[in-house]
Order: sequence, then C-alpha cells, then structure tokens
Amino acid sequence: MKRRRFTATALAAAGTSLAANALGTRSAAAQNKVVLSFLHKWPEPNNIRFFRQAVAAFEAAHPNVKINMDAVADDPYKTKIRVVMASGQIPDIYFTWVGEYTRQFIRAGRVLDITKYLAAPDWHGRFAPATLDAYRTDGKLYGVPIEVDAKFMVCNKALLAKVGVTALPADWPAFTAALNKLKAASITPIAFGSQLAWATVHYIGDLNAKLVPPDVRKADYTLRAPVAELFTDPGYVDAMAHYRAFLTNGWFNKTPNALTHAAARASFYAGRAAMMYQELVEFGLAAGTKLAADGWDFFPMPAIPGGRGRQDLLTGAPDGFVVSPTCKHPDVAMAFLNFLTTRSQGEAFTAATHRPSAVIGAVTAKDALPQTLRGIEAIGRAKGMVLWLDTDVEARVASAFLAAGQGLMGSHETPEQAMQKVRAAAVAAQKARG
Amino acid sequence: MGGLTRKHHRLAAALGPYVALAPVLGLLSVFLYLPLIFDVIYSTHEWSSLSPTWRYVGLGNFQGLLADPLFWQSLRGNILYAAVSLVFQVAFALMLAAILESGLLRIRWSGFFRIAFFLPSIMPITVIGLLWQILYQPDVGLIDQALKAVGLGAYAHAWLGEEATVLPAIIAVSQWQWTGYLTVLFIVAIRGIPRELYEAAEIDGARAWRKFWHITVPGVSETTVLMTLITIFGAIKVFDIVWVMTAGGPNNASDVLGSYMYRSAFRDDRVGYASAIAVVMFVLCSIVGGLQLRWSQRRSL
Repeated sequence: MKRRRFTATALAAAGTSLAANALGTRSAAAQNKVVLSFLHKWPEPNNIRFFRQAVAAFEAAHPNVKINMDAVADDPYKTKIRVVMASGQIPDIYFTWVGEYTRQFIRAGRVLDITKYLAAPDWHGRFAPATLDAYRTDGKLYGVPIEVDAKFMVCNKALLAKVGVTALPADWPAFTAALNKLKAASITPIAFGSQLAWATVHYIGDLNAKLVPPDVRKADYTLRAPVAELFTDPGYVDAMAHYRAFLTNGWFNKTPNALTHAAARASFYAGRAAMMYQELVEFGLAAGTKLAADGWDFFPMPAIPGGRGRQDLLTGAPDGFVVSPTCKHPDVAMAFLNFLTTRSQGEAFTAATHRPSAVIGAVTAKDALPQTLRGIEAIGRAKGMVLWLDTDVEARVASAFLAAGQGLMGSHETPEQAMQKVRAAAVAAQKARG
Repeated sequence: MGGLTRKHHRLAAALGPYVALAPVLGLLSVFLYLPLIFDVIYSTHEWSSLSPTWRYVGLGNFQGLLADPLFWQSLRGNILYAAVSLVFQVAFALMLAAILESGLLRIRWSGFFRIAFFLPSIMPITVIGLLWQILYQPDVGLIDQALKAVGLGAYAHAWLGEEATVLPAIIAVSQWQWTGYLTVLFIVAIRGIPRELYEAAEIDGARAWRKFWHITVPGVSETTVLMTLITIFGAIKVFDIVWVMTAGGPNNASDVLGSYMYRSAFRDDRVGYASAIAVVMFVLCSIVGGLQLRWSQRRSL
C-alpha cells in the first residue's frame, strides 16, 4: 500500500512537468513561432553581451524566430552538457570542444551533418582551412567555428635580451639553450601553473604530436589501434620525459602544481619569468602590464630534430557550435550560425570579447594587438592543428593524461609509470566501447 | 461549529497529521527515495550520458571498484578524513568546551573565544577554499611565511601542490572550520550537567582533569556519540571543500569518494560506475546510521 502511494506521488510530479512542457510547446505553436534553444559556454559579461546583441539582431530580422539562449562557464559546461544529453532534451544549437569530444556526440547521433550548408563558398570561404578541418570527421563537416585559438610560447623581450638572446628560438636546441642561459642568470625561464590540470596537457599534447608518428597517434587517440599496441609507442614516454625535463632542469618555476595558470600568468606579466606557454585568446590580457612595457613576442613550440611526429603543426583549436539532429528547424538554426559568422558579426565578436574571431579578416588592428593579428596569420599558415589533448582523446584517457601532467610535476612519478596509467585507461575505454 | 459532526471531527483529527506530512513525504520520495532506487539500478549498468542503450553488467561495476587503485586511494582519503576529524572535531572540541566552561577564563574572554572559534563555520565553503588556497601558497602564503618567521623554514611546503601534503592540508581546513562549531554544541551539553556534581567534586578536592574525566565526559556522552556519528557521516560524504580547493589533484592525491564519483560521472562519463561509488557511500553511511539507531534505541530502553 505504502509503495503504491509513493508511485502515485512520483507519477503526479512527473505528470505536472509533462503538462508544463506540453503547454509551453502549444503556446509557442499558437503564435506560429520557430523556437530554437541555444546553449554555450560564454556567460562572462563581455562575451554574453556579444551573443545577446547577435540573438536580438537575428530575431529582429526574423520576427517569427525566438532563440532561447543559455550559457554556463567553461568548467560547469562540461557537467551541464552531460546532464542535458542524458535527459534527452538536446539544445538545437550547442557548443562542443572539437576532436574526440565532438566525435563522441557524432557517434551517439547527437550532431547534425551540416556539410551541405557549409558547401556554399560564401560561407566556408570565411574560415581558414585548418580551422574548418577541426570539425571534419570522415569527410563530413559537423560544426561552425566562431573563434580560433592556438598556443604559443610568449616571451619577455627585455629579459631575453638581458641574457643575450635576440632571435626567437627556431628549434629545440636553440630553445633549451635560451632556457639554460636564463636559468644561469637566475631568471625563471618559464612561468607554469598546473594546479588546474588542463594547462599540463597543452604541453604533453604538443610534444606527443612532435614525437609520435602521426598515424600511430591518430590510431591511439581514436582507440582504433589493436589493444596490444594501444599507446605503446616509445614517443609517448619520450614526450612525457621532455615535459618533465622542464621541471627537473629548472626551466619551470618551482612547484607548478601549487600555482594556477592565472597565478603563473600574473607572475609572468609582472616580469618575474621570461616565457609562458599561452593561448592566443589570452594575448589581449597583457595590455598595461610590465610585460607590455618590456616588449613581448611569441613563437610556436619549436621543432624537435629527429622527432618521429609532425613538427609543422600548431597546438590549438577553434571553438564553435554544432546543431542537434533533433532540431525541428535546421535551416533556421544554420541561418543563425551563418549570421553569427558574417564578417560584421565576427568584427563585433572580437570588439566585444577581445577574442580572435574565426572569420578571416574580422580581426583588425582597430580591436586587436599586432601580436594577435600575427597569431591569427600563423594559424592561417599552419599545416594543421594539434587539438587540445584533453578533448581529443576519450574522457577517461584524458583523465589519465591530466593526472599524469600533475604527477610528473611532483617528485616521484616517472614518465614510464604515467604512460602505464594512460595505457590502462585506454585499454579499459576501448573494451567499454566494444 | 456549524455543520461539522463529531464524526467529521474524528476523521479530520485522524487524517490531519497525514495530510500535513504528505507534502514532505512527496518531496522526499521524488528527491530522495526515488533517486536512491534509481542509483542502485544505474549501478548495475554500464552507460553514459550519450549511450543510446544501457548494458546490464550486474555487479560488474562493483568488481571494477575492487580492482581500481583510485577507488581504494579515495576511500583511504575518507578514512583519514574521518580519523582526523574525530580527534579534532570531537575529542579536541570537547576539551575546548570544558576549558571555556570551567570558569578558569574570565567571562569576557570565554565569550570572545566562543565567537572566534564559531566564526569559521558560518563562512561559505567557496570563500574558505579560496582563502586557504592563498594561505597555503608556497613562499608568499601566510603559512610558509609564518614557518619561516619562527625558524621552521625547513618545514615550508607547497601544501596544495605536493601529493604528500595536499590531503592533510585540506583536512586541516575542515578542522579549522568545524571544531569551533562542535565546541559550541558541547558547551550547550556541558551546561546541561547539574552544577551540584562539580560543586561536590570540588568539596572532595577533585582537580580540573578529574572533574573533566569523571563528570563532564560521562555527562555529555549522548552529545559525544551524536557528534561522532555526524562527523563520520560528514567524512564519508565530503566533496565540496576538496572540489573547491584541488578538484582531487594533483595527480588524484586528494581524491575522496565524493570527488572520484563526481569525476567518474561528469568528466569520464561513466555514470554506472559513478552510481556504484554512490552506492558504496550510501552503504557506509547506512552502517553508521544503523549504529546510531541501535545506540539510541538502547538509550530509550
């Protein structure tokens, strides 16, 4: 008897929410409105201001369209998107990270193939090929980029000049020679904060690409390699050894695990370290700091001679949006994304957010630093991108890499031990995928 | 009383409590008991937020836990958390309460200490997390500065950045936060002990320690047991302070079951596995709750 009452209560509660949903749909239908839901990860005041004006402008041009926008910050977004997906209430347009992160949504049938929409030359021609390629899986396009980002070694020119380094390091030996000179002069060579583990895999991911043969890396990252070979290439251990060497050689500041990326950046901007591995989207933050007064430049992580991977790739990724196959009005959704990536909206994006728009030519000297403009040019020239490691491998493999990134900044974990854990996670993930 | 008959009154009186309790029961069912049942069902499946189907794996997730070094490491984190909390939040708090109530301090100072000890417990956890992140900073943080100032610079650490020190550092924050709160609860309990007992002991020439051991401790035994159980519950469920301060890092060194469960569900997308961790936490809490129930039944007999 008791149990029946429980069930009745639960059903009543469920019924109420169903009725509410049905009512919502009906009232929208009554007004003959096209309603789109839109979920992204830019709720910060400057960023959301851009999106609010874009939505308002699009709605004004299309009076029958209503866009319900919702935004949560980067980290909580990772939780929110999982919950939303599990609930089955998939937003019509939503943000995902490129790479395996998006591929898992594609495999689960949660992303619409939009190849035909982007085929229009006046649309796909707005983006650099490497930018758009990040959204390509098995020859099909699945996403529309809104901003580009890449990782560069940013350097304080005054501090480099102090130790006689005037040319930007072109390869690994020149790079390490500069680091050793800085260290010898008691200048912290590189500011690094790994308390938030994502900062670690930007190094490891780039080094993997330089030291592991590209086809092997692809087979491992996509878990398509035979189980006996999964993540066994010696290049991975080598990459982790290169990464750990930054600590053991004294090229990083002490105890990176106790510093956040933001804290490390503050110390770099204050002139207390000579270099920092930074994202293009951070470039604008240097304005008004001691670093800006000292003068700064940047270079990609230098090539490693003899490395068995690719030396001509740039670590970074575009950010952008995908459309759900459950969207009832894909044409309208795509029209909105087209509008978001017009030249004028691209300019508005960079002006409001100080982040580099993915639209070619939308970032101008008016709204961006000269360094940002050159960074965007470097992305345009890149032969391809090394995507963020933590979104380019299966989630639990990513967790293992993230833990390794911190473990190797401690006192006892070896590159071999760290890679063993990564491999174990990959084997389990492959087994689970079946 | 108008048209209401006596029968109606009886009916209303009989149903009244049930009607009043119904909303609570409904809310509890939807937000507590149903999720609990679902959790057990989820834990026997392998599924993710994206999987179109669920794969029944029976006890597979639990077998996975037994073989998972991270699970055992997290559980050890909870056990350490519980052990330290019992020493500080129960034993030490009781001693503090006894000192504050002993009359050894002037009334004004006793009041000051009560407020000073209590204050951390009303601060939001995120504020505490950020505050202590700053205090724990290597070199520039207050803790390391203080150690250096008193000549203990050799003991300075990157407290939250080293795998050996991170969990003790977080646990210490919890003690800082909650010991004062439990002290106040103990003060209330001590005030419930008849003064005559202390006066009699004084006439007999008992010293402070003997009074504490033979009057205060037995006098607050009920509160002590309750605080012990609440502290253990808290240690099993702990999540927020860990997540705010380190998210389980570096290299999972500060993981507890709560943080490992959260990461399994929302980062690794292994919802079935995370549900199994939740079931383990529930079972551990149930055992402690069962002990509490048995103890309180024995008291009432």
